[in-house]
Amino acid sequence: MLKYLIFEGGLYKHERLEEFLQDVGGFVVQKVVLSLDLIINLAIPEEEVKRLEALSAELKGKLKEAPLIGTEVAVVAPTLSRHHLPHPSCDVAENLRRHGAKTNIIGLARGVGQKIVHRSEQERELIEEHDLAVFTLGNFEHCLREAKPPLFKDLSIPVVVTGGPDCGSLPGAQGYVGGIGRYPERARTGDMIDRLNAVSELSGRVIEDRRRELDLDPLTIDPIIVKEEVERQIPESVEALSPNPVTLKFDGVRIKLPYQEFHGKVEGVTVEGLRLGDVAMVKRSLMRDYIVVKVLPKSRFE
Amino acid sequence: MAATITIDSDDKKGGELYEFIARRSVEDLALGGSVQNVHILIKTSIPLFIMKIKYREAVGKNMLGELSTITEGENGSKVTLESEIDQGDALKTLWSTFGRDKVEQAGRMDILVSGVKPKELEDIKIRDKAVDVSVKINELAVRVIPEGLRIRNIKKEEGCMTFVAAEDPIKEEWKELASGLEVGD
Repeated sequence: MLKYLIFEGGLYKHERLEEFLQDVGGFVVQKVVLSLDLIINLAIPEEEVKRLEALSAELKGKLKEAPLIGTEVAVVAPTLSRHHLPHPSCDVAENLRRHGAKTNIIGLARGVGQKIVHRSEQERELIEEHDLAVFTLGNFEHCLREAKPPLFKDLSIPVVVTGGPDCGSLPGAQGYVGGIGRYPERARTGDMIDRLNAVSELSGRVIEDRRRELDLDPLTIDPIIVKEEVERQIPESVEALSPNPVTLKFDGVRIKLPYQEFHGKVEGVTVEGLRLGDVAMVKRSLMRDYIVVKVLPKSRFE
Repeated sequence: MAATITIDSDDKKGGELYEFIARRSVEDLALGGSVQNVHILIKTSIPLFIMKIKYREAVGKNMLGELSTITEGENGSKVTLESEIDQGDALKTLWSTFGRDKVEQAGRMDILVSGVKPKELEDIKIRDKAVDVSVKINELAVRVIPEGLRIRNIKKEEGCMTFVAAEDPIKEEWKELASGLEVGD
């Protein structure tokens, strides 16, 4: 099983780290260079972690576990108005990114109120394109318990909810973190940062559980290999200007290229001797006109 | 003086959080000097949100002498504004009249003008059109009231505005409840 880690260190001699990853069958998921600093989101076979730690110490870098690497998380706000954006949603999204996730913020059209609260079918499909949804809701416990569960209870992906009161748990959500409701300024205090970290840690645990479940019915091809092959065989995918143009997902990848023009090429990518179109669903994303690749489990072919 | 904000809510934690939102919104809109008292009544089970705001009317005032207290100091004059809302216009006018080197902002409400007597400052018009504070009070209420409560009833009196917000058509009894709310002196 792969272990997901973040390496933070300097540029100096970092090639040694990349060579080590190649040698042991690890992967660079994302590499960010900030002046002379370097942040690498990586995946490595579990049994090689000790050796990686030794190498990281030698390079004077820091390693931390980040189960959210390789996941695309939807941060869902009840609306796009200033009542719910930007502060709570952006703070949550930023903290999730610091823990390795790739985030997209989604504002519902009518996620507000107790009686008018509503989520459309299209919104459901868009949220379900992600691996995990974090709903950033409001401040009233009655509203959270009685009115909001229809927004997320029938989603096929795990859901974490944040809200103002400390109300323990919510029906239909895998986890709840209180103290992050509607607030009108940037989270700056230690207490708020701790709560944001709690959201990311809880999300990490939910994803780890999901990965364990996936091991019982593994995918035909590991998505991380799909990502590498897409980047190698379709050079346009690396040149796209969108951030993280080939985004690694829990059970596939999102390729930020126009569907109409590129879906044929994506289906034709060969991975471990298999045609991608035969072992994965390649569909048009509701987000812009991107391509979503969902790798099918082995059980589908037995 | 900072505005007094009182909350009467059937959800204690939610009420506290809304007090924080109201306080920050007053600061963001630079209404610190204009808003005197705010009372918010919240009934989450209906749902109903009533917000009553008592404020200082500033309509019609646009001369520096009317908007502030001007005292003479050693090297010039000190202008102490009654409302933070006028700070931007006052500074802009004083800078263009006396130059940046003579005018200095000394605080949220204070401006120091060196080498100028109070008499010269009193008749300076800081804007052509008077600010209507009630427009900003309306903006304050829109920022604070939960977005889902889209049916609104607004009552404007001299120096006081009352907002009743709900998801259902506003009932007479809610309007009466709002009228009877004490918002302090």
